[in-house]
Amino acid sequence: MTAGSVGLSGIDVRRAGRTILQIDGLTIPAGSFVGILGTNGAGKTTLLKICAGLIGPTRGQVRIDDVDLVRLSSWRKCGLRQRIGYIPQSTEYNAELPFTLREIIAMGRTSVRSLLSRLSRQDYAIVDEWIDRLGLSDRRNQTFRSLSGGQQQKALIARAMTQDPELLMLDEPCANLDFYWKQQISGMIEQLYRETHVTVLMVSHETSVLPPACERIVLMADGRIVADGGADEVLSPQVLRKAYPGDFQTVLIGGRRYTVGGV
Amino acid sequence: MDPFFYLVIVAGAIAGASCGLLGVYLVALRLAFIGIFISHTAMAGSVYAHLVGLDPTVGPVVVSSLASMCLAGIRPGRSRLDPNVALAILFSLMLGLTFLGIGLVQGSRSEILGLLWGSILFVRAGSVVVIAVAAVVFAVFALVFNKELKVLLFSRTIASATGVHETFVYALFLGLAGIVLAVNLPLVGGLMIFSLITNPAAAAYQICRGHRAVVVASTLFGVLSAVGGFIASYYLNLPTGACIVLTSTLLFALAALSRTLARRVD
Repeated sequence: MTAGSVGLSGIDVRRAGRTILQIDGLTIPAGSFVGILGTNGAGKTTLLKICAGLIGPTRGQVRIDDVDLVRLSSWRKCGLRQRIGYIPQSTEYNAELPFTLREIIAMGRTSVRSLLSRLSRQDYAIVDEWIDRLGLSDRRNQTFRSLSGGQQQKALIARAMTQDPELLMLDEPCANLDFYWKQQISGMIEQLYRETHVTVLMVSHETSVLPPACERIVLMADGRIVADGGADEVLSPQVLRKAYPGDFQTVLIGGRRYTVGGV
Repeated sequence: MDPFFYLVIVAGAIAGASCGLLGVYLVALRLAFIGIFISHTAMAGSVYAHLVGLDPTVGPVVVSSLASMCLAGIRPGRSRLDPNVALAILFSLMLGLTFLGIGLVQGSRSEILGLLWGSILFVRAGSVVVIAVAAVVFAVFALVFNKELKVLLFSRTIASATGVHETFVYALFLGLAGIVLAVNLPLVGGLMIFSLITNPAAAAYQICRGHRAVVVASTLFGVLSAVGGFIASYYLNLPTGACIVLTSTLLFALAALSRTLARRVD
């Protein structure tokens, strides 16, 4: 897959007279897996939302496959965003509504179908294929609200994948999950990446959930990128100190990187 | 029962059905308070239409649909203003404008003030046709944009990020919601509309599985609240509005109870 590149240049986001994000330049080639790491309030989610065009920058360019998202009309922006699979934090969706799992996953097909058209039998075949593929067959007609946090996250990823996206943006997909589900979801993201080579941008505040396929990490602090490079380089104690006060070391266990303090 | 009351029952059924259907979306979007807002907006429209000599039914429809479409500009995550806070601010603006307008009206004000409380017992055939047309238009909209509306209800962020035309559909929805509420207002009244929007939908969300089931149940609960409430008021010789509100509340209580019992059984 060649499409799905992202480029930011001269980005400045100001809110209430304060700069909350400032990025001189960031290029994410198509087919790469980039982890966005940083402290709470560092601007990780804002960066992801800028890339998806959910937040408009005060100045600067956001390019997806060389098309400037900022200058597009809202109608044409919709066309471009159909290529984006977006998984938000749990506060940004209404998990209490009694949608069935199948209805939630079918929402991914809404993005690729035009207004006024209905989802076809073929759309539902794609939906059912993803339900089976992710091992959710026995939950198909259960309500989303009755599923565990890990199963809900799986469903949201399946929803995004039914779009056949070129870009997958995940905002803390493993937050609030137990260690079993963290590993399951992280492993699933890795597997999907290896199978499809979709461009992945994954926000996390934990290094251990970034799968081994994530070879590049962007480290953020106070609304700026303080380091951008290979995972081993960025997770070294010297570089981590740019974002986190104190001494931290990263240990590799089973291909995953665990960052621990006070060592 | 006097045949005159058949028209009241038909009007109640249509108003209940359209409010029940509308409530599915307003409750999920956490905009149930919109009923109170629209009723005052429609009232302001009616007062000012009356003041400038226009048909008092045109004013509410235009003003309330425009006012509710203003809410489309408030986007989750982008605006620091919660839609309900925005509704409260717009509500106070409309309240102020309404009473300013009422102060300027010469002569009798009883017709204008009647809008707030409604008068389903004095319904005319023409009004029934108008609310029926509004109900059908809204139902067609809900059917045509069903797939977009579902994503919008689940998450406006996901809808927006993944290329669903959510701003267009949301603005259209709010405009139509304004029209449905404004045309039902003279019959149902601003206060009762609030119950008919909230209670049937909230009851359906308690007990249903799947969006289609919620839509059907909420519409039926709306009809049941309006018609059941009217029949109860007729035979028990009690105020109609109060009986309709209490019937819808009873339906919600039963739904909440059945969900609690079902959980205990699980």
